Amino acid sequence: MATTPRGGGTAQRPNGASQNKICQFKLVLLGESAVGKSSLVLRFVKGQFHEYQESTIGAAFLTQTLCIDDTAVKFEIWDTAGQERYHSLAPMYYRGAQAAIVVYDIQNQDSFQRAKTWVKELQRQASPNIVIALAGNKADLSNSRVVEYEEAKQYAEENGLLFMETSAKTAMNVNDIFLAIAKKLPKNDGAGNQGSGQGRRLAEVEQNRQTNNCCK
Amino acid sequence: MSPCVTKVNSNLAAVTFFAKTHAGDVCGSNGLPLTPNSIAILGRAQYLKTIEHPNLCEYLDIIRGKHERTIIVSEYAGAPLDEKIKICNDVKTILRIFYQVAEGLNEINDHGFACHNLEPSNILLDSQNNVKLFNYGLFYMTKQGEYVSFPIGNIRYLPPERLLGSQNNIKSDVWSLGMIIAELFLECQFWSSLKISNIIRKILSLSNVSKVFEKIAREHNCFEKYDNLNSDVRELIERCLSTSISSRPMPNDIINNKLFQENIETYAYKAPPKPEQLLLRCPLKQVYYLWQLAGGDVQTELKKEGLIRSEAPILSMPKIVCLNGKIGGSKRSQSHLADNRIVILRLNNLVERLRKVPSMAYFPLIHSPKFAVHYGAGMEQLPLVIRERDTEYQFYRVMLFSRMLKGYPFTRDMIIKEAQIDIPPLLRGAVWACLLDVIEDGSYERIDKVTPTSTDRQIEVDIPRCHQYDELLSSPEGHRKLKRLLKAWVASHPQYVYWQGLDSLTAPFLYLNFNNEERAFLSLYKFIPKYLHWFFLKDNSAVIKEYLCKFSQLTAYHEPVLAKHLNSISFIPELFAIPWFLTMFSHVFPLHKIIHLWDKLMLGDNSYPLFIGISVLKQLKSTLMSSGFNECILLFSDLPDIVMETCVVESQKMYSVTPKSICYRKNVLHEVDPGEFDISDISLSELQGEVSPRISANDLIDLIFNGKDAVVILDLRGSLEFSRMRVAGSINIPFTTVLLGDTRLESLGVPNLESILADKIVVIVSVVHENAVLFSKFLIDCGVSRVCVLHQGFNILHAVVPSVLVST
Ligand SMILES: Nc1nc2c(ncn2[C@@H]2O[C@H](COP(=O)(O)OP(=O)(O)OP(=O)(O)O)[C@@H](O)[C@H]2O)c(=O)[nH]1
Ligand SMILES: [Mg+2]
Repeated sequence: MATTPRGGGTAQRPNGASQNKICQFKLVLLGESAVGKSSLVLRFVKGQFHEYQESTIGAAFLTQTLCIDDTAVKFEIWDTAGQERYHSLAPMYYRGAQAAIVVYDIQNQDSFQRAKTWVKELQRQASPNIVIALAGNKADLSNSRVVEYEEAKQYAEENGLLFMETSAKTAMNVNDIFLAIAKKLPKNDGAGNQGSGQGRRLAEVEQNRQTNNCCK
Repeated sequence: MSPCVTKVNSNLAAVTFFAKTHAGDVCGSNGLPLTPNSIAILGRAQYLKTIEHPNLCEYLDIIRGKHERTIIVSEYAGAPLDEKIKICNDVKTILRIFYQVAEGLNEINDHGFACHNLEPSNILLDSQNNVKLFNYGLFYMTKQGEYVSFPIGNIRYLPPERLLGSQNNIKSDVWSLGMIIAELFLECQFWSSLKISNIIRKILSLSNVSKVFEKIAREHNCFEKYDNLNSDVRELIERCLSTSISSRPMPNDIINNKLFQENIETYAYKAPPKPEQLLLRCPLKQVYYLWQLAGGDVQTELKKEGLIRSEAPILSMPKIVCLNGKIGGSKRSQSHLADNRIVILRLNNLVERLRKVPSMAYFPLIHSPKFAVHYGAGMEQLPLVIRERDTEYQFYRVMLFSRMLKGYPFTRDMIIKEAQIDIPPLLRGAVWACLLDVIEDGSYERIDKVTPTSTDRQIEVDIPRCHQYDELLSSPEGHRKLKRLLKAWVASHPQYVYWQGLDSLTAPFLYLNFNNEERAFLSLYKFIPKYLHWFFLKDNSAVIKEYLCKFSQLTAYHEPVLAKHLNSISFIPELFAIPWFLTMFSHVFPLHKIIHLWDKLMLGDNSYPLFIGISVLKQLKSTLMSSGFNECILLFSDLPDIVMETCVVESQKMYSVTPKSICYRKNVLHEVDPGEFDISDISLSELQGEVSPRISANDLIDLIFNGKDAVVILDLRGSLEFSRMRVAGSINIPFTTVLLGDTRLESLGVPNLESILADKIVVIVSVVHENAVLFSKFLIDCGVSRVCVLHQGFNILHAVVPSVLVST
């Protein structure tokens, strides 16, 4: 195995606790290129930050497990490529996803607009119950902020999104945003298994893998 | 003054200094750490390596040490003027120095920068009293001194305007030259006993003097000597020392002065006799490269001479650290002070290592088979890493390839043949360009690389993420170059667009041709149509889908068991292989691995990368076979150590035993039109429906006649038709008798089938294509390798002449 992320294969258990429930969720990161999607994932999964984080081509996959009360929530994370041209690949990753983090860079107005477009697309085409979080990343650079916190907050509220400003660099709110998503996801049997399942080969493939089955 | 530490017959030397450190952990406006100044210097200084001029020492290398230490390796030919001053007392010699320094400055000026570091210790004189300027690029490489904390240039020779902060004017160097020549003529060093502050005062006080030379001569009681000088000479020096910059001559004006031109032979550069040591006749870059291979290490040499001193780390601990990150109280370490000593790099080891090399080897006669001696023969068997580090072997390779490169493009075939053995790292950039059919023609210069375009933002965010562990690529100069290359590529391909990943693809070419952007560009320009035809179309999905589908087919062909497993866990190439192929692995491997991979890739055709992909899978086979989807995809999100040499060997093996038509793709640059017996035009949906590749009739026939039993033909037609007409030696398995659900070879009822099929190319022949496809899937499920389906089925064979069919 290459890198087994902290808690990668099996869920972490609090000291001595006996068999917990394990839920698996598919989560996708979307957003303009260079807003810090890969950096957020890297921070969440490995606790690291690379200044020269490589750009993402296609998509990358990582997993990480969080514990909430007696439930281990395992995220299967698809980190996608941000360049608009890779857009056509995106449905392959968000179909059947139970959660999405749409990321923008607080220093870049265009990336915020792009985030809104992603939200619309998800609302239209992803699973109807998908939990969407909006992350205003690079909050450590608030000196050069152009997207106001309030503006984004209001937009998030209007659209029923979770919202946080994050910084992959300082780790601010990184775990928190994943935790907030984990809390919001349904953890009862059979929940979150309403992937669109329409026609697409890949989408079907995803379902065959049964990653959507929560709490096996 | 720079005392020479060691004196042997070597013309390689090193100097070292420290770049300015950035205070604390300050970040740039993007929140990311600032590029260390030593890296910025490293990037800028690369350009100096391209300067070749008889009056300038050649720059050879720039090395970064610890704590922002920067080491410059350069030619050092002869002895410095300040040591030879005694013998430079005749007018002829002095004028010769005057003239040749001006030649050197003129060249520097032509390259668009200024020296600002001219002083006697940086003027070297060889046995013929030819001048070579040394360390003339310090001001340039440090970006006008911005990257270092010490002042550049010896105060004594600086003109007033430099002391007042003006810079970048070659005429300031002309003043320095005037001062040096004035000292030589007056045979004294000016203001030798004065403190620096007083010297500065003296120079500034010259600002409103009209005849500086005369004034200085009087001041030093040398007016008589001044007065006795030839008036033309006196006047020229006086002009060089004019305080008004505009009345100073340009270096070129000095060169063209009739004083010199009337007697040019006396003053012009005279090539010294060729050194007896053949090694020393080789280009210095080669000598330096071999010197390193022979164990030479610049840092060790500097340590030996005490220029790099290691101190107990505790001594450099700060006494106070403020909360804002400022540190204080630590004594400035002595070892961090500028030290202008010059360390000669001794060649003894190298000479010893190459002692047994016959003289003939220096002059490979590539066109005279009669004399052809294959030096280094037998070493091909050694692992590549050993060959690349062997001094003698690299010597032979470098000599041979340099000779062949001179004859390019006429020697292209020869270069290809030799490159199949290996490519000497020193010449890799040039050799790749030959393999890619690059002809440098100045076209790069004419491409618009500046006009803003809509892709600029993407390029700008990608460059700082592209192979930034590499010093060159992470330097500001590297960023600028990569940007120019990418913009040039986009500008010259209106039919294509910038896809993220093109940056990674360009990086190896830039890395190898850092000082030859045109070659880097043309290499990329040729590389893409050869291996990535149509990949950079705005809508490339059909192209990529076809590619990935072919990849799956070839995986099934060579690794059926693995393919079956991956298929069963839905581990499809779309999820992991796009970055592999779109960037020809340059996004997934570090540069040192890519280079060895591409050495071989360049020798193969557009199908070669597919085999690289398979050999990567193969290397991870045991892990993949025992893993589920998540583990597999995680494995590829962070590609573990792939042994490149194994990967290369494996891919070459597969590449060479796979019939060409098996790799057929529609979306490649087809140079010849397909014939009746070739494969042409398979639609994407057809392709996606087939697990096994097709083989062309041409390739099948070739296998039958020349394949030495490499092929087994399984004929799916009914037994009656089979008995009437068939390929000799083929096996009849009527499709109607096959139980597709029972995936065991035994179920086919052919005795010993498994051993018959082993190590063979298994060609399925049928009249109903769908049956052949189903049967190929059946065979793969049974674990049979090298299964393919005859394109156009049995009937195409009727048309083949001479016939391959037999009848009863
Ligand atoms: N200062 C600061 N820089 C960040 C932060 N997150 C990411 N970066 C930097 O922003 C750049 C882009 O980050 P990535 O994580 O590669 O961005 P991405 O969204 O994955 O980009 P694509 O893969 O191109 O879609 C990198 O240089 C990161 O180091 C942050 O929170 N603060
Ligand atoms: Mg990314």
